Amino acid sequence: MDVKAFLSKSMFLGACLLSTGITLGILGFMLVLAYPLFARGLFWEMLIQPWSPGQGLFGVGPMITGTLCIASLAVVISIPISLGVACFVGIVHPGGKGRILKSVVEAMTSVPTVIYGFVGVFLLVPLVRTLFSGGSGMCILSAGMMLGLLISPTMILFFVQSFTLVPQNHLDAADALGANTVQKFFYIVLPWAWKSMVTGLILSFGRAMGDTLIALMISGNAAAFPESVLDPARTLTAHIALIIAADFDSIEFKTLFVCGISLYAMTGFGVVLARGLGQRGRA
Amino acid sequence: MEPKIKITGLDFYYNGRPVLENICMEVVENTITAVTGPSGQGKSTLLMTLNRLWESIEGARVKGDIQIRFGQKFQNIYDPGFRVSELRKKVGMVFQMPNPLPMSIYKNIVFPLKLTGDHKQKDAAFRVETALKRSFLWEEVKDRLNEDARSLSGGQQQRLCIARALILNPEVLLLDEPTSSLDDTSGRMIEALLLEVKKTCTLLLVSHYLDQVKRIADKGMHLSRGQITQEW
Amino acid sequence: MASPLWDRAFRLFAWGCSLVLMGAFLVIIGFLCIKGYTALTPRLIFGDTGFWDAVLLRRQVFDGLFPAMAGTLCLIMLSIVLAVPLGLSTGIFLAEYASPRVKWFFSLVFDILAGIPSIVVGLFGFCITLFLHQCFFDRLYPCLLISALSLAFLVLPYMIRTTQMALESLPVSVRLTAPSLGATQLQNIVYVLLPAALSTILSGIILSIGRCAEDTAVIMLTGAVATAGIPKSVFSSYEALPFYIYYISSQYADHSELIKGYGACLVLIFICMNLFVLSHFLKKRLSQRLLFRH
Repeated sequence: MDVKAFLSKSMFLGACLLSTGITLGILGFMLVLAYPLFARGLFWEMLIQPWSPGQGLFGVGPMITGTLCIASLAVVISIPISLGVACFVGIVHPGGKGRILKSVVEAMTSVPTVIYGFVGVFLLVPLVRTLFSGGSGMCILSAGMMLGLLISPTMILFFVQSFTLVPQNHLDAADALGANTVQKFFYIVLPWAWKSMVTGLILSFGRAMGDTLIALMISGNAAAFPESVLDPARTLTAHIALIIAADFDSIEFKTLFVCGISLYAMTGFGVVLARGLGQRGRA
Repeated sequence: MEPKIKITGLDFYYNGRPVLENICMEVVENTITAVTGPSGQGKSTLLMTLNRLWESIEGARVKGDIQIRFGQKFQNIYDPGFRVSELRKKVGMVFQMPNPLPMSIYKNIVFPLKLTGDHKQKDAAFRVETALKRSFLWEEVKDRLNEDARSLSGGQQQRLCIARALILNPEVLLLDEPTSSLDDTSGRMIEALLLEVKKTCTLLLVSHYLDQVKRIADKGMHLSRGQITQEW
Repeated sequence: MASPLWDRAFRLFAWGCSLVLMGAFLVIIGFLCIKGYTALTPRLIFGDTGFWDAVLLRRQVFDGLFPAMAGTLCLIMLSIVLAVPLGLSTGIFLAEYASPRVKWFFSLVFDILAGIPSIVVGLFGFCITLFLHQCFFDRLYPCLLISALSLAFLVLPYMIRTTQMALESLPVSVRLTAPSLGATQLQNIVYVLLPAALSTILSGIILSIGRCAEDTAVIMLTGAVATAGIPKSVFSSYEALPFYIYYISSQYADHSELIKGYGACLVLIFICMNLFVLSHFLKKRLSQRLLFRH
């Protein structure tokens, strides 16, 4: 019997270590494959250099800029909408209407990314092209808008979740004192929930950065530093998808690992940051 | 009138804070010993030290000596060689809230036998019947053994839990306010069955109903601020 | 902010945002339906091949979605089979065996894994294939198995977290019942805790299936191709529904192919929505059961 207990525990521990190994293995593998770049001291330069294979420059600077631009735009578009919907669900109509809306938002999280990309290509891009004449319509603005729509459900659910952390008796007290909805929101809900709302924001930003399909399909994929939101741009994720077919020994292929490591580092940093906030919020 | 349980110098700490301090007591075989006292002062904790159930609680620590007599020999239940699952089969426990598992009545009662691997043996059904009879539940459920245990009333559920604890013929039965979640009639029924169970088992009952204690307990002690303040 | 005007504005804002979001969602669904409803015929899936001929693999389907759907199905099954045992065991370890400090460390690791963009996981799978190809088996190319493995890595953190949460949220009364009757820790887990947490875990698994069905980034790096027919073995390349949609959006040759793309979108949404509803239903049923218990 004790042997059984020991074996089962070792099995569970082994599974846990294996899963951990996968997480660290992904980073390790990329670091090993990018090692030649580190050895030649190219890695850090590549993070800021432009991409022009003709001149022998293989920097991913434009892609990092593109990623940050598109993800930021998506978050900026998504914040007000998410806040409004979360208020609707959590504060203005917590009963029937809010519950229905919340179910719809939950259902939206299950819509595949490629669908957003597809509709983006055939609906949003022509629209942007006509509205802002000039250019192909494949630009940061289109990608940012679609990505904003993609991350909104996640952000809304995060916000609603943080609103439920507010103790009910605080809200009851505010009601008893005759506070109106907006006072309740600013004086009771926000001070209590803002930390976990910021956590949700960070994780949504990570989600926006990590998305491949929308950027790949509707951001235009030009490997140059964008100058306005109507310029096409290429994200790190799209760069990986576009360059994967290159020759394995070429330096182009090696840049994939620079992209991969940057993405890993940025999303990992976001997770650590979000957790730090969450922990202090609980204490 | 031989002693069954001997507790000496028992301390219990939860996250460094003492919950029980220097408890010394003796429990006599085939009696009902009642522990009374205000809530939140360590009564349930005291029971949990006797079947080591506190060990699954994060941040708990126990010091002291608890001896229980199995057969002729007293054994220290915290002995490294004494297996926890064996101890708990000999020292049964019934909780404040009835806790039937989400399965049929029969499967609930036979569950402890499943843990020992005896549930497939021929006498399993007979043992289930005996246990249900001992807890005065047989007549009410004999025709519906395959129904979900949670369809029973609260009092029936609690008697089911007692039957489940009795099927292994424990030598000691720990009862943590077994009637406090029930109405008066159900409570009285449980008191009556405990007086029957006492003939073959040693009972330790935590309760905050003084009249209940006076009705059925042979001995009582009052626990307050982690210490035994009076005995009678 | 005491003025009722503020209150009115706040409500208006909440209503406005909700309408915008719902509007956008409806536009997306509506657009696909209007453009693609003409494609929703058996021809979309089976092309010119008969239903039974296709399902029994008697004849190959050339101009239908059947191979893509079959590929997606194989992919889902394979990755779930790979991910479930690992995710369940890890979740059980974290919930039942790990001390708080160990738990803190491992949850951080799995949060990071959950945050890794899927394309990076795909890149990892691609590089593993490359590595194995060069060092061990020179006949190994990106294939169904590699994709399934990468997808399993992708959904692993979700599975770990649902298992862990489902076990940890069980009430103490359920948790202590079996030990008080002499159950060992393993018996408690197998006989009581896992069955009690089963429907939450199942809903997590179904959500993971949804993720496997919709993910495109991983599979486009690890073996999905435009035309491959029904996958013959786990070492062959394959078609998949989301990849087909992506492919059509950039490479469509004529109008009828584009219409098929819209149709494929509707099929994929239909599948994902059904998985979502199923998972939602399982979770609901659980919470209702908990409600009735008390």
